[in-house]
Amino acid sequence: MAELLVGTKKGLVVLRGERGGGFEMAARAFPGEVVEFAIRDPRSGRYFASVTNGQFGPHLFYSDDPTGGWQQAEGPAFPPAAGAAVERIWVVEPGVGDGVLWCGVAPAALFRSGDGGRTWALVHGLWDVPSRPQWEGGAGGLCLHSICPWPGDTDRLAVGISSAGVWLTDDGGESWRRSVKGLIPKYLPEEARATTHAYCVHNMKRAPRQPQTLYMQFHGGVYRSDDAGETWLDIGTDRGLPSDFGFPLAIDPHDPDRAFVIPLAADTDRVTPGGRVCVYETRDRGTTWRALREGLPQSQAYLTVLRQAFCNDGNSPLGLYFGTQTGELFASADAGRSWSTIAARLPPVASVRCA
Amino acid sequence: MPKVILTGSIREQVGGVGAVDVDGDTVRAAVAALEAAYPGLRGWVVDERGALRRHVKLFLGAEAVSLDTALGPDAELHIVAAISGG
Repeated sequence: MAELLVGTKKGLVVLRGERGGGFEMAARAFPGEVVEFAIRDPRSGRYFASVTNGQFGPHLFYSDDPTGGWQQAEGPAFPPAAGAAVERIWVVEPGVGDGVLWCGVAPAALFRSGDGGRTWALVHGLWDVPSRPQWEGGAGGLCLHSICPWPGDTDRLAVGISSAGVWLTDDGGESWRRSVKGLIPKYLPEEARATTHAYCVHNMKRAPRQPQTLYMQFHGGVYRSDDAGETWLDIGTDRGLPSDFGFPLAIDPHDPDRAFVIPLAADTDRVTPGGRVCVYETRDRGTTWRALREGLPQSQAYLTVLRQAFCNDGNSPLGLYFGTQTGELFASADAGRSWSTIAARLPPVASVRCA
Repeated sequence: MPKVILTGSIREQVGGVGAVDVDGDTVRAAVAALEAAYPGLRGWVVDERGALRRHVKLFLGAEAVSLDTALGPDAELHIVAAISGG
């Protein structure tokens, strides 16, 4: 039995079904509220949902049964001295240590839980970096949306911020350094690139079997790092992608050479190019990309897929799932070779994760 | 003692209770007392800076009021979700 957590503009949808078959709705939680992100921590079995109430603000909830009741976590919330308020909770990521989870929010900040996600504390080391006053957000706000723990190492972490680049820590979050060498902010005049803080990372994932390998979808550019995020290599130009713009990114957790993106036409036209929905796969670390389109709409389909709305299920062959702003949910049980539509009339989809 | 009247989805956070008696001689103090009685409400009416959430409105009778408004002992403070959404 596969379980999908689908965060939508009108609540959390929990779908259950068989890989490669149909899915049924098992629950709809937080009706009417924006569920930005939902995930299950595989270590504890605990579910998390980031819920933004239109009037009463963003809050994080957890549950041991997504079809039952939910409890509100204590935080994430800034301490008074920070002079800030959480605007949106973008991502929750299980960490490495016992009971450790990470949470990324807007305005761009990282929170840590050491008790399985019940309480959260600001990671001051990143909040206090000297360049922070110069950071700016993109269209989605100044947000920390990508968190990449290092399997087996509690101290090493990489995070991606729109639009403040990649930040690395080797001491569990005490100290941080920016790491953008090789990234090209093509949206800025060449003269401005050397001094800018505006590195608009859209998505970043680490290959768990080879943790020094990271993939990134940038605001105009697809990149790979072979040295744990210290430097970045262009793998998006003239290699078979119809566009180097997009947000979604998935990897094969079993194969560090394999990654998937869903390009959008351009930053000024954030829809699937040419009205055709295609996932692009590389099996050679980004040297070449090929389209995976069997079963996906190939005409008059101008869809938008948000950054958290694409995931893998970790199985072999790999299951892949993505949702759209027009309420479709597509699934593949064979690593993208063929796709089926498993839901067609959901509210706009913000996130998709396999439980 | 002032009374706080809760409406809408915020009422779910206090177990369905619609009215709560609280101590406080200002709206801000009454909200703080409400949060102390129901910790699950922290961050719902005011954010962690103490600022009223943008789409929350406060009324004393017909009058829209601010966090700094004084409350009399018989005041009934309505916490209302604004008519906004999408």
